[in-house]
Parts: sequence; C-alpha cells; structure tokens
Amino acid sequence: MLDPAHGGTDLGARGTGGIRESEIVLQFAAQVRTALESEGFQVMQTRQANENPSFDDRSAIANAQRGAVFVSLHIGSTGLPGTVRVYVMSDLPASNDATGLIPWDRAQAPFLPLSRRFGDIVQGFLSQRFKGSPSTAQAAAVRQLRTTAAPAIAVEVSSVSVEDRNTLDRMAPGVADAIARGSSAFRPLYVVAAVNPGDRP
Amino acid sequence: MTPRWRVWLIGMLAIAVIIAGIYFKTLKKRLRQATQVPTVSEEQVRRELTQAAPATASGPLTKAKLFWSSGAGDGSLMPVTVELPLSNDPTLRAKQVLNTLLAGPVDAELRTLPPDAVLLALYMLPDGTAIADFSEAMATAIPSGIESEQMAVDSISKTLEANVPQVRWLKILIHGQEVDTLAGHLDLTRTFLVNAKASPMMAVAAPASDSAKPTAAGDAAASGKAGATSLGQQKPSATSQKLTPATPTGKLTQPVKKP
Repeated sequence: MLDPAHGGTDLGARGTGGIRESEIVLQFAAQVRTALESEGFQVMQTRQANENPSFDDRSAIANAQRGAVFVSLHIGSTGLPGTVRVYVMSDLPASNDATGLIPWDRAQAPFLPLSRRFGDIVQGFLSQRFKGSPSTAQAAAVRQLRTTAAPAIAVEVSSVSVEDRNTLDRMAPGVADAIARGSSAFRPLYVVAAVNPGDRP
Repeated sequence: MTPRWRVWLIGMLAIAVIIAGIYFKTLKKRLRQATQVPTVSEEQVRRELTQAAPATASGPLTKAKLFWSSGAGDGSLMPVTVELPLSNDPTLRAKQVLNTLLAGPVDAELRTLPPDAVLLALYMLPDGTAIADFSEAMATAIPSGIESEQMAVDSISKTLEANVPQVRWLKILIHGQEVDTLAGHLDLTRTFLVNAKASPMMAVAAPASDSAKPTAAGDAAASGKAGATSLGQQKPSATSQKLTPATPTGKLTQPVKKP
C-alpha cells in the first residue's frame, strides 16, 4: 500500500522554488509502484490524483487488505539534501482489551516489531544509495502510521529546499528501487496468520 | 527694478535654495531612520506581553540547559547553557525555559521553533503532566516535515526534562485545542514522555498498561539525540480503549484518577 502524503488543499512542505510535496510524492509513488510491481507485488495507493483523504481514510484502505505493508511517502523541509530517512511509529501502549479487537487509535501497536524490521531493511538499502542517510530507521510519532494495522513505514526525502526540482526527480528511481528491494527482503519475514494459499503480500 | 534690488533678490533666492537644500537633507535622513525601525509583528508584541510576567519571577541565576538544533542537518539537538533567574515554582519555571527556547538561540539557523510562536499558557497537572498551549504560529509557521516537527517537540521535551524535574509528561495544545498533527505529520493527540524519573507534585500509581513502561525511553532521552526516544512514549491511560474507526480526536479530558 503506497501512501503519497498530503494532496488537495494540503500541499505539504513547500520550497521557495515552488516545489510542492503533494505533487512530488505522487510522482515518486508512480515510480515506486512500477518497481514494486516488477518484484511481483500487488500495489494499491491511498490516492491516485490531487485529492486528500483523511488519515483515517488512508488507514482504512490499508487495514482492509490482508498481508499488506504500508509505505507513506514524504518530502521534508529540512535535512541534508539528497538524503532519505525511514520512520517507524514510536512505542504505543498495546491493547489489553479482552475481546481481542485492536483499538483503532493504536492499530499500529501489534505491528511495531515488524514495522521496525521492515524500516531497518528499507533504510539499509537507502543508505547504500544515498550517502549521509541514516543506517537504521528512526522512531517518530507519525500520525499516519498510528492507525495503520500493518507493517508501516514513512519515507521522507530531503528536501523541498533544493533549488532545482530535477534534483528530487533524479532521486526517485533510487528511492523506488530501495523500497522495492526492501519489500522483497522483508517478504519472507512477514508471516500473516491464517493466510489463504493464494494470498501474497 | 534697479540693479541693486535685483542683486538683493537674487541673493535672497540663493539663500532660500541653500536653506531648502539643507532641510531636504535632514528630511531624507529622518525618512531613512524611520524606515529602519524594525517592524514588530502582532505575535511578537503578544509574546513580549505574555513573557513579561514569568520574566519577573525572580530567583537566583541558574544555569538552564536549552536544546536547539545542533546544525548538523540530521535532526540532532545540542544543549546550550543559559543563565536565567529561574523560579522554584515548576509552572513558572517551565514557562521561563520555554519562553527562552521560543526566543531562540543567537544563531537563528539553529532555531527549532517558529520565531512568531507564543506560549499562551502552561498548566501543570498533579501527575506531572505539563500542558503547553502554543499560538497558531507554532503549527502554521513551522517547516512541514517529519524531521522538523519531531525536532520541535523534542526540543521542548528535552528542555523541560533538563530544567523542570517535576515534569513527567508533555501535552501540546494549539490555541487551546487538541489538534491531530503539528504541521501535517507529528501526532499531537498523544502525550509525550519527558522524564520517566520525574518527581511529580503528587505521587501516581503504576501505569495500568505495562507496554508503556517509560524507562527505556527515558534513559535514551538523556542521551541528547533528537527523535530517538521521548517522542514515542504515550501516557498510559486505562480508559482510552476505542474500538471503532474514525473516532474523532477527543478533547482534552480530565486526567484519569488513579487509585
């Protein structure tokens, strides 16, 4: 599940050169999608065009899929230009609900260890490609990840502050390749309970 | 007109031109001075007014540790020691350090919070939760992004941890309201762990949910690396078991009464 962040009236981060996060992440998503499909993944997106589903709407799309992984794409305002960081949700109190239902507002809690492994793998590929990027995923209270009931990461590219938009465009294939390779490497680690034989991540 | 009168007239006119020239120079100088008067935004005026009270809360000069950006560009923070007349009252003390944090470091590039943001109010709950209410500029003027928003919250959290030992948790409001995110990324519906070893004004019972044990994060928070830790911890609550999707974020409720 690919999530190009923002959209619609929410432009996200904006650079002085007129760069808009909401537009660029959509282009990144197209390249990531192609790379994932070439690895044999079925890909869905939380938005296809310039619309802005709510955080919960985006999570609802992902949560309806069995065996999905969630990748939220962002372009930041800060950070060393040319670097990419992967974020996973920081700790959430797990549910102690007797019914076994997962509380919506912390749906990510049971998936935190898997998200961490997925994030570290993707960040590893990104750090090989983009020098200066961290070697492991970082924890942050990213709102979009909290309500997502799947291994979930946010990928933030630096940054909208670049003068030339082509600088970001040139990063897209590398980011797409790292996410696709990371997803492939993560696939054997992601065991989904009661999966039908035909299902795949 | 006699030649004598003509000479007088030309002389008078020459003197008038010289006086006008001198006066024009003075006017120009005054105009330049007027344009150099710094423009003060409404938010800055409000900040000066709101800061006046805590600034007068005098105490002995104490070395306060404030966390601004390290300038490395990797989201890390750096402690800077500043001498402040810190109050012994935890609420006033927290206001003082946060207002100083908002005022920013000498190098404006190392700011973590928007220059126009104002701390409107700060409340301390008996369980050690500090509720910091900032003006809208905190959300609208901060650079949008996971890293930048995380740095902002982390700088507040670490500054409180270093200077106000009674603060255990941090809750951030924007203009009196709980908001979904700071600027589109960082979750502000939660409470952030500031200091697991804090000594609140009133002792509290152990958390109901053991998954939120704050010890590890608290230890890591002391390391000084931004974003590594304290942001993630959520104040445990035995009552927040929502089982339906799309639940609107609740308004700030009364703290849970613990036995």
